[in-house]
Amino acid sequence: MSSDSAQQSPLSDFSSTPSSVDEDLQVYLKPEGEKIRLSLPRSTQRSGSTDWSEVWQQLKHRLNGSDRSWQPGTTVHLSAKDRLLDGRQLQAIADALEEVQLQLGRIDTSRRQTAVAAATAGYSVEQHSPIAPLSTSTSEAAPQWSQPLYLQTNVRSGVDVRHSGTVIILGDLNPGGTVIAAGDILIWGRLRGIAHAGAQGNRGCRIMALRMEPTQLRIADAVAKAPETPPAQVDPEVAYIAPQGIRLTKGIDFFKTHSFSAEEGGWTDL
Amino acid sequence: MSRIIVITSGKGGVGKTTVTANLGAAIANLGRSVALVDADFGLRNLDLLLGLENRVVFTAVDAIAGECRLQQALVKDKRQGGLALLPAAQNRNKEAVTAQQMKELSLELSEKYDYVIVDSPAGIEVGFQNAITAAQEAIIVTTPEVAAVRDADRVVGLLEANGIKRIHLIVNRMKAEMVQLNEMMSVEDILEILAVSLIGIIPDDQRVVVSSNRGEPLILADKVSLPGMAFNNIARRLEGDKVRFLDLMASQDNLINRFRRWFR
Ligand SMILES: Nc1ncnc2c1ncn2[C@@H]1O[C@H](COP(=O)(O)OP(=O)(O)O)[C@@H](O)[C@H]1O
Ligand SMILES: [Mg+2]
Repeated sequence: MSSDSAQQSPLSDFSSTPSSVDEDLQVYLKPEGEKIRLSLPRSTQRSGSTDWSEVWQQLKHRLNGSDRSWQPGTTVHLSAKDRLLDGRQLQAIADALEEVQLQLGRIDTSRRQTAVAAATAGYSVEQHSPIAPLSTSTSEAAPQWSQPLYLQTNVRSGVDVRHSGTVIILGDLNPGGTVIAAGDILIWGRLRGIAHAGAQGNRGCRIMALRMEPTQLRIADAVAKAPETPPAQVDPEVAYIAPQGIRLTKGIDFFKTHSFSAEEGGWTDL
Repeated sequence: MSRIIVITSGKGGVGKTTVTANLGAAIANLGRSVALVDADFGLRNLDLLLGLENRVVFTAVDAIAGECRLQQALVKDKRQGGLALLPAAQNRNKEAVTAQQMKELSLELSEKYDYVIVDSPAGIEVGFQNAITAAQEAIIVTTPEVAAVRDADRVVGLLEANGIKRIHLIVNRMKAEMVQLNEMMSVEDILEILAVSLIGIIPDDQRVVVSSNRGEPLILADKVSLPGMAFNNIARRLEGDKVRFLDLMASQDNLINRFRRWFR
């Protein structure tokens, strides 16, 4: 694997990739006390139907791939943010949740039309002003660190998985698919797409895969692309930042033979 | 129970329409009734491949608009009793039809036909969304090329998100000698990425082009060709028969086992 550590920026400077794991860009499912919060991405400027079909694909991907460790019948609070949802779309979401034994309870929205549609369909609604989002958990100041995202599914071409913590995929990361994580990335399968670990600047993060055949690997601000003719390595491997840039090694011994050095800005041999 | 199957690919020009026409004819040849729906609005050519162009009077859009009954818009193939085509409008754009209308239309056809097979347009936009809305099953068509497989993978993800769980794969335009020389993706390479069930492999063959130009599905030829046999086998596999994969490399001496496995 050829590699080059792009601009040796200081560790504290996250400016190159600060928002890449922004929770507002993706569908999120996370426990919140007794309930589960399902948070939709903010709406984009793009045409309504394409935008909805992308959100829908992400939602199904997350639900189908989840480990379903919740209690059957758990209530879900939907954060629809500034998204326009009609009755049909709300019904589709409720049905999708029901398939995995979750129950749509309340809907939080900043849009009047969505609130009306939700109330008409018989859900309890909380409408809040668009300027101050209700969920204070998405504080802008400090980079957030979330629970690991565990997905039991393939990440296919055209699919982006972004998460402000560690990502674990039980399946393949296919060419054309992308995983961007603030923490580590563990692919229990083939890694053939693009993986970016430590996306908020943490150079200690690693990318692990049963079969490492990536299009491109990134850790923090370092980038490495696959060589033209990848060596036929069949063992699980770990990608990490060494002082010289991104390196690959067999997974089995990595933690015995390497340690992270903040001064060196990377992992060094013991 | 009748089956609604969408033929799709993501990438254009990989053989969706060719597969729809020939597979439809092959299923009808097994004694099943089949309605083929051309959902490629604005670019219709399924009627051409079936040799039915000159008999098209009304289209799906006319039926949806209530300008004719659905039965009137259907073109029945005189050579094969069980086969009928619902043509797409050539002059209207794809916004002329909604997903809901497409769904109702497919469901209505499924009351009368054993199979409703929908030929979808390229891409993943509105026309594609409309084509998949009623389907319970999908056949993904790809050629052994990196770009085609990449698009097929994207489409598999979208089908999964839309609750279509039965997804079959056809690898079209296989050139055995190129795989052998390691110049082309093998079926195994493709399956490794797409992870869906293989239902057929169709060789790259001039006779496919000739039959399309003549408007004569391969299954109707006096002496059935290798690609014609491949379509017949796919039809039988859809019906639940266990049919071995053709040995497309029988004429080649130097067999690579890795490739051969799929043809036994
Ligand atoms: N197995 C094959 N061997 C040779 N030519 C083929 C084969 N399958 C398709 N073709 C040719 O490829 C072209 C595109 O096929 P078509 O079915 O129109 O693709 P699509 O509907 O996916 O756009 C046509 O000219 C067709 O004759
Ligand atoms: Mg076509």
